[in-house]
Parts: sequence; structure tokens; C-alpha cells
Amino acid sequence: MNSFSTNWNAPVTDRRRFIVGLGLLAAFPCVWAQGRGMAALPAVSPAPTLRLKDADDKMIDLAQYKGRVVLINFWATWCPPCRKEFPSLGRVRKLFKPGEFEVIAVNVGEDPDAVFSFTGITDFPVVFDRDSKTMGAWSVRGLPTTFLVDRQGRLAYRATGGREFDDPEIVNLIKAMR
Amino acid sequence: MRVWSFFLMAFLFAWNVAAQDGMEMRHLVRQGAIALGVNPLTASARNAFYEARGFTVAAIRPYAEACGFSFGMQNATDRAMRTSLSDWHAIGADGARIAFTLPEAWDAQWERAGVPAAARIAFKWAQFQTNNAFEPGDWIMGMATLKGVPKAPFRLVARYQDNRGDHELVLDKLECARD
Repeated sequence: MNSFSTNWNAPVTDRRRFIVGLGLLAAFPCVWAQGRGMAALPAVSPAPTLRLKDADDKMIDLAQYKGRVVLINFWATWCPPCRKEFPSLGRVRKLFKPGEFEVIAVNVGEDPDAVFSFTGITDFPVVFDRDSKTMGAWSVRGLPTTFLVDRQGRLAYRATGGREFDDPEIVNLIKAMR
Repeated sequence: MRVWSFFLMAFLFAWNVAAQDGMEMRHLVRQGAIALGVNPLTASARNAFYEARGFTVAAIRPYAEACGFSFGMQNATDRAMRTSLSDWHAIGADGARIAFTLPEAWDAQWERAGVPAAARIAFKWAQFQTNNAFEPGDWIMGMATLKGVPKAPFRLVARYQDNRGDHELVLDKLECARD
């Protein structure tokens, strides 16, 4: 059993320790900055069904996107990392042609009006999983969770926790899948 | 003087960025590239959060008044790891060991109390899950409550497993947050 402890509140009494403490604090947001990359799923399997309505009651079906790489993002407005990464969904969407890559944001358990006040108008579909059954079918373990679905409709990559989706590491993954 | 100015500016910038993200943590422990942040949560903060998501004040009271935290855990290693909240516990200043209430136990209570489904969904996914799996690069946030109030200051023991075995992270001098 490995053990390691840090007393974050320990008093600092001299300049040197104080500077070290400030340095640690300055590094702190790096820890809580978004995660990096996406993990390849060990076995490539067909993506579960995703058929949900958007705020205009239009049915969005993942099956209609076959032939494109699709990024599926499960999220909620009350989830801080979800809010932080959301703008990067629009940015990565703009890096590719509509015929080769699409983003679908799946809001979990919220009212479309409340969601719209956060998202505004987006360049990609935002659909609503009001009873979280779709989230269950996709074996999501926490919010946010994001999947990359390949052109054949198979699950290829997953990320749990926030990301910046226009990060070169993720953009290169998408490029390689086109 | 320049060194002082640099560190002060770095500190203020970092603090500002963290605050804007809403993800600042008061306590932090790292073990290699594994990090765990812990933020004790007040009852009023939890009341406000869950009332805005469909709970009544009466329904959420037992949860809000329990000794609770927000956790943020990151796996920046190159190997998968997992946690089980049932392995985590607090050790009070009197030596008493106190386990965490698992999210499923709270949900059973919400079901009995007739809490609306949308509120239960928000609650479920706002918690640090009973079992978490972290791939390389993943990080997960969530709230959790202890089954009792440990005598302060207390120690928090958080365990995780990877392909090298069992590990534990320890944070000392914690206290439950008070309004």
C-alpha cells in the first residue's frame, strides 16, 4: 500500500516556504484544467442507439450520421467541467467539413428552456435525454463523458471528465478517423 | 522584489482562473500523476444547488446537513485506475472511523420521499459515484457525504487501484464546512 499525504493548510513561516507554497498554488489550476486526449476503447463495438429530440422537437438519430465521425458529448448545465468544455465543441466542429464530422451534445435530465439559456444557438444538435435512459444505454459513468463514433457507427474513443476538444491531440484523432 | 512580484501575479492569476472555472479545491493531495482535490461543502451551498434542481428544502435537508465534500480526482498517468467509495473513510481526532454514505442509499431515500425523477437524475450524476473507472487523462468530480460527523480535525483516506496494486491518498486536518 502506497501512502502519501499533503497538509495543504500547514502554516508557512519563512519566505522560502512561502514562495514554494505560492508556486504550488500557482500550479494548482493545472491539476484542475481539463483532462487530455481520449482513451481508445478496448473492443470496437457498434454504438448504442441514440434517437433523441432537440429543443424544436426534431428527432436526431445517430444512424443518420453514418459515414461521418461523430463526437457524442453527455453533459448538464449544472456540471462545471461540462460548462467549461462546451464552447470547445463548437470550435472543433468548425475545424471539419459537415460531411466528415459532426458533434451531438446530449443534455441529461434538464429542461430545454434552461439549457438554451446557457447554450444559445449552436452549430451542432443539442438533444435531450430527459429520463437518462440513453445515458444508461451508453454506459456513461459520470458527467461529462464524450465518445468518438467512427464512420462505420462504432464506438472508438471515450473521455470521462472535461476536455478541450480543439486540443491538437483530439483533433488529430478525429483527422485519423475521417 | 521581482521574484515576489512574479509569484504574487502567478498566484492571483491561478486563483482567478480556478475561481472562474468553479473548480477550486481547498485541499489537494497528489501521488505521482494522481491528484485528489477535496472541498468541504456547507449546508447552504448544497441546499441552494439541489433546490434549484427540484428538491424541496425538507427532502434535501438530511443530505445538506451531513458532513459533505466535493471531490475532484484526476488520472494523469498512462494506466487505468479505479476507485470504490466504499473503500474511502474518515478517521476522526478521537480515532473513530466513519464511512461514506453511498449515492444508492440516498437515492433509495429520495424514492421513498417521492422526489421528482429529474431531481433524482441531477442528484445521481452530481455525486462522486460509488465505483469510478479512470482511463489515462480522465478526471471526475462529484459530491459525497460521510455517515457521521468526525471529530475535527480529521483524516480522509481515499483508496484507488491500478495494475500496480492498491494505493491510498491521505489528507489531514480536515473539518466539515459550517455556514
